Amino acid sequence: MERIGIVGYHQVRPELDLQMSPYECIFTAVRGALDHAGLKRKDITTVISATNDYYDGKTISNCFKVSAGGAYMKDESKVEMDGAHAAQYAMFRILSQNHKLAMVYGFSMPSCMPFECTRILELDPTFDRPISLMNSYSTCGMQMRAYMKKYGVSEEQIAEATATNWKNAAKNPLALQEAQKADMTAAEVLKSDYLASPLRELMYPLLGDGCTALILAPEKQALKITDNPVWITGVGNCQETYYFGERDLTTSLSMEKASEAAYKMAGVKPSDIDVAELFGYTACEDIILAESAGLAEKGKGDSLVAKGCLNPSGGATSGMTPCATGLNRIIEAVKQLKGEAEEHQVSGVKKAIASGQIGFCAQNNIIYVLEGGN
Amino acid sequence: MPLPDYEKKQYKVTRTMPGAWYLSNYKYKFNLSRMRIMLRGFKEGKILGVKCRGCNHVSFPPKLICGRCLVMPDQWVTLPDTGSVATGSGSPRTDQETGEIVIDPVILVRQDGADTVWIHNLPENYSFHDVYIGMPIKVHWAEELKGLWSDIEYYDPIEDMGDKINKEELAKK
Amino acid sequence: MCAKVQPAVISAGFCEHASKRSDVNMAELVNEAVEDTITKAGIEWKDIDCVINGNMPAFEGANIPELWMTDHMASKNKPFLRVTTGGTTGGSVTIAGYYAIASGMYETVLAIGFEQQSCGDTSMGLASVALGEFSIMPELGYEYNKIVSNMGAGAAIGIASYQAMSYMRRSRATEEDLARVVVQNRRNAAKNWYTHLKMPTVTIEDVLDTPYISFPLRYGMVCPATDGACAMLFTTEEKARQIADIPVYVNGVGSYSNESAVLAADCAGAGQVDPSEQLGAMKSAEVAYGQAGISFPNKEIDYAEVYAPFPNQELMWVERVGLFEENTAAEAYEQGITALNGELPINCSGGVNSTNAIGASAMERPAEAALQIMGKAGNQVPKTVHTALGHGWGGAVNLITHLVMSDEPQRKFKGGR
Repeated sequence: MERIGIVGYHQVRPELDLQMSPYECIFTAVRGALDHAGLKRKDITTVISATNDYYDGKTISNCFKVSAGGAYMKDESKVEMDGAHAAQYAMFRILSQNHKLAMVYGFSMPSCMPFECTRILELDPTFDRPISLMNSYSTCGMQMRAYMKKYGVSEEQIAEATATNWKNAAKNPLALQEAQKADMTAAEVLKSDYLASPLRELMYPLLGDGCTALILAPEKQALKITDNPVWITGVGNCQETYYFGERDLTTSLSMEKASEAAYKMAGVKPSDIDVAELFGYTACEDIILAESAGLAEKGKGDSLVAKGCLNPSGGATSGMTPCATGLNRIIEAVKQLKGEAEEHQVSGVKKAIASGQIGFCAQNNIIYVLEGGN
Repeated sequence: MPLPDYEKKQYKVTRTMPGAWYLSNYKYKFNLSRMRIMLRGFKEGKILGVKCRGCNHVSFPPKLICGRCLVMPDQWVTLPDTGSVATGSGSPRTDQETGEIVIDPVILVRQDGADTVWIHNLPENYSFHDVYIGMPIKVHWAEELKGLWSDIEYYDPIEDMGDKINKEELAKK
Repeated sequence: MCAKVQPAVISAGFCEHASKRSDVNMAELVNEAVEDTITKAGIEWKDIDCVINGNMPAFEGANIPELWMTDHMASKNKPFLRVTTGGTTGGSVTIAGYYAIASGMYETVLAIGFEQQSCGDTSMGLASVALGEFSIMPELGYEYNKIVSNMGAGAAIGIASYQAMSYMRRSRATEEDLARVVVQNRRNAAKNWYTHLKMPTVTIEDVLDTPYISFPLRYGMVCPATDGACAMLFTTEEKARQIADIPVYVNGVGSYSNESAVLAADCAGAGQVDPSEQLGAMKSAEVAYGQAGISFPNKEIDYAEVYAPFPNQELMWVERVGLFEENTAAEAYEQGITALNGELPINCSGGVNSTNAIGASAMERPAEAALQIMGKAGNQVPKTVHTALGHGWGGAVNLITHLVMSDEPQRKFKGGR
């Protein structure tokens, strides 16, 4: 695959209740990304947005976002999944050689919507929705219980990894202010109430309003725009089955398949990866995803967190913006590769992976292999 | 007309579940900074539009973002109180007294000097058959200006000067 | 401009459309279309590399329904994308299918568009388009009853009626002209196996007898609400030659978007002063024709499927995409140029006017166009079709998708970028 360069990005810092209108928020991110890359709106040839009508509370929500997203008279489309999936569509467009610069943005405003209700609308409407036993919390709980039971991982180990995520978020200037807990300890995590045993309140991320924009360019174009672009060298996407009865929750089949495809495309081995920025709802899910991506042995994933090479930005714990979290992970990986991540910089990063997901217990995963340098 | 096949073989074993979209639980955020200035203008009987410095497009009611230039326009211009009908339609409603169905005209108004349109009304009982595109209209202000959207009650049709000019010119020739 | 890999359509399939498909659920409905497509193509489920799909999200009360429909879409353990853009969803999905092949990343891509409108509340879904705006307007002093009456005319049918009035003023088309379009569509639909409104004996008088729904559109003129699904199979040029008898090459795509018409974000003025001007459609057409190397669309295109739920739009779109000179479409319909055996047949499938399963409609247009080239359409035109176009619109008539297909691959230029 031809390399694709990330030439510009901007993330509106998530806030619990952002004092901006949706269009203003998108505008800020898109304008910021253009300014970051030193480009003008007319340079962009295609715009791919990642928003969800249920998160916005209106049908066809993309039709009014044309102006704010810089898509006026541009080739535009919308991917109703995570922002990372939208980036893949933008890659299609660039690789086809029909387009030279693609703007990708992901946006949502959880302060305006009942997020857990919209997640219930994702369930099978005839069986799972009326039984109303499945929701974000219970599925995360089930996954965590299955993982702990199978590999003999203790609640303390998960709590330790969670506390590290909160502490990492404190070093991340773009994290939600409320998520920056520098003095979080495992004991404190274990003291919080159960949401769905063994999932505790402090193990579940906080939702923040925000928008993230990313500019992608083909190899030749990227080198003209910036001296040190970060390259996307591989991408993998996979969706596994929905029914929990058919899935092994202790591992992620979709992540295994997706990462396999991405590594093959990039020509790298899992051992080459220096930093992983993965989108899991809980620290436990982060670990499961990292193990499935081949970064650690099954059941030993929590060592990655301790080493500091899994989610140095804090992951989704640093503030989860539905539709934009995957893009945030990509941006954090880009910063690590460029050496721009100030306090949470991991030294000597050459190759990184970033992922996005949708569905319960990461039913669909998308993973990018990113490389720095020319 | 016979029923289609699918209506006939409605499966009795199918399960139907009611669902709801909890729209009442949603909140919507707005940036009123532009709208407030327009409404303050209404209070003084002025019509304010916002002009983008990049492309000189004037929008009324004011836009927050100019899609053409991707900037926030901030130059305010006073527009005349006349305009024209960009296009229109009829909205049926049941008259509460007589029970008859009345069709009210609903029009898209392009204020003179602006490059955008907004939905507004004509005086009550104005026949929608008489509405035509390009029809000149004028703002009908409310008696008391409160700085609200309702300060412009409706648009009054005014004399179409277009016909007159044409006739005079033809007479000269 | 030339795509890296030449994408081709090898098969397109439909499920049976009806106003209420209560015998199946959404997943089974989709599965019917997928099975139809895959069997027609003569390949197996495991040969599909990637699945791209979409529907109108808020109409059925299911957020990302693909999650639980995975197994019915041949997408288990496969790359998967959901592309939704309102009315154009089908067109956008088709274009995503094109790009997935053109990028060289995947070899066989299944594109699916579906809608089961009987499951949900379409009018409620459409009302929520500007629900946020409606809720802030009373606070700014906009009287509630005025919002109801003005905005009631502002939903999809309303935008169409504004557009109809403006188009009729421009082109001097009469209500009779609109009715003629409806009659052609409904009669064509009667000959196509899967369509919804089949009226083989409808006349212009019948249509003009129905009451107004929103001036100048009448009940007899507007599209129905349908349950249905459509699927298309994309693959590379080399593979298509092996699998299909007549592969259909997608040579040009465009999906350009203008500012919204009639309604705008945050209660501001709408950017499209004249909703029948359609800069987006012109630009999409221009780009798609440019990619396909078409200089004279009115001469080079043999067949067109345009997305027109309302008859005035059909007249408008065929002009805007360059098939007829401005303001002459009504005349062409009267002369029978656009009929099944005419010079330039349009919407021989019956069009959206007869079958509107929203998420699938915009995909049925390119699918029908491809089938006409293959010679396998339900209502096949007698003449040989070499080049055809599929078009779609969505949002507040601001996003237009455009696909140009041909039985010959794109002209290749050396060098490229």
